[in-house]
Amino acid sequence: MTVARVGTLVRPGALAAVLGALLGPAAGVPAAHAAAGPFQLSEPGKLSRWAFVERTTVARAEPRRSARAVARLATLTPERTQNLVVPLERVERRGRLWLRVRLPVLPNGTTGWVPREHVGTYHEVRTHLIVDTSKRTARLVRAGRTVFRARVGVGRRRWPTPHGEFFIRNRLRGFQDATYGPLAFGTNARSAVLTDWPGGGFIGLHGTNQPRLIPGRVSHGCIRMRNTDILRLDRKMPIGTPLTVR
Amino acid sequence: MSIHQENTHVSHLTLDAVDSDGAIRESLDAVQGDTRARFLAKAGLFGGGAFGGAALLGLTAEGASAATAKSDVAILNFALTLEYLEAAFYTEAEQMLDSSGELALFNKVVAAHERAHVSALKGVLGRKAVKKPKFNFHGTTESEAKFRATAQVLEDTGVKAYKGQAPLIKSNAILEAALAIHAVEARHASWIRDLNGAPPAPTAFDKPLSKSAVLAAVAKTKFIVSPAKKKTARRRTTGATSPNFTG
Repeated sequence: MTVARVGTLVRPGALAAVLGALLGPAAGVPAAHAAAGPFQLSEPGKLSRWAFVERTTVARAEPRRSARAVARLATLTPERTQNLVVPLERVERRGRLWLRVRLPVLPNGTTGWVPREHVGTYHEVRTHLIVDTSKRTARLVRAGRTVFRARVGVGRRRWPTPHGEFFIRNRLRGFQDATYGPLAFGTNARSAVLTDWPGGGFIGLHGTNQPRLIPGRVSHGCIRMRNTDILRLDRKMPIGTPLTVR
Repeated sequence: MSIHQENTHVSHLTLDAVDSDGAIRESLDAVQGDTRARFLAKAGLFGGGAFGGAALLGLTAEGASAATAKSDVAILNFALTLEYLEAAFYTEAEQMLDSSGELALFNKVVAAHERAHVSALKGVLGRKAVKKPKFNFHGTTESEAKFRATAQVLEDTGVKAYKGQAPLIKSNAILEAALAIHAVEARHASWIRDLNGAPPAPTAFDKPLSKSAVLAAVAKTKFIVSPAKKKTARRRTTGATSPNFTG
């Protein structure tokens, strides 16, 4: 049964009132109070949110349309998966909601404001991956408890793994490149040195075909794990998980 | 938007486009589906653990068993779909809306009521209960002005929807239960109207809204996500492309 059929049964007056009130401006309803302060949306390790980029959009330096453009956000990642953002906070300006999100651009740590309606519904994660480049360890925390721990390979001194706050944005498997092991996670972190690397120099978290090099400073910036460890991590870490590299 | 434009727009929508989990369709199918005998045989509708929900609605075992007419089941599932929508809306707003004072109290109280309605209706329907759809409220749970407007429409629509079904209910026990919810929805409607500066009781006599009209209005909101969004998040974020990461 289609709504076209249903539509013939609708009393137009009643429906017009319902639809008008639902979809149109909030006529007759008091406006929201003066612009409230930012509403925090993500706190790594406790509750973090992410959302798909539903339409190509421009992230801006301030939550207004005329503000300087910081980056363009596409709906797909370079790996052809659905692009996503991690919103940090939300504000409402002139009746429009804006989200401050982490961006996949240099310098690492850059954030920008995108209209709320350009991203989809929120997904929640309660995990947090912490990589310590000096100790060469990775630790996944959930609800305050470490639920995964592994030794890792990180970038050599000339190609260091960037430090800062990032997030896991996709998961690749089934590819034919043993260098990355059986599985790779993509992040929004980028090498500040290898800027001409194919695909933009994004930092991944992946397996390896040289497990004897782990732990160590062995990579071009990526975080390498033994294959058993990356597969174990895959069972515990959802997409959208915040990543701290220190 | 004119009424003509509005109906033209509605005519392009299909249930497939808005009813990703089949909740609306299940409500409709229940009207035409199982025979009473088959239904009673396989559902055991009001027995065992399901009676808890019936009790919440004030249904006795005797009254509940009389409520197994297929049209009553369809009505209950229709009501459940609306209650899923309302409960999800207010629950999300509890987390996402930056509100305070009486509006926050309204949200908290109504959210608890709507969740109780869902729980009770599911208890009554047992295995015949429709599945909970997936929702996307498009930011209406995050903006105070949009939340106020949407809450008012949802409550007004809920009141009219229950009223529209009341004359069609065959079982007195189910009717009594529906009226118990209807009265609470009316209180919610008055409360949010008062908060919004609208007349809490605008007319001496309320008009009903047919099931068709309610379903069309729900479809129009796009609060129930479409089949295109049904792919799981894990699938949409997993690829087989050979990585170009720095390695």
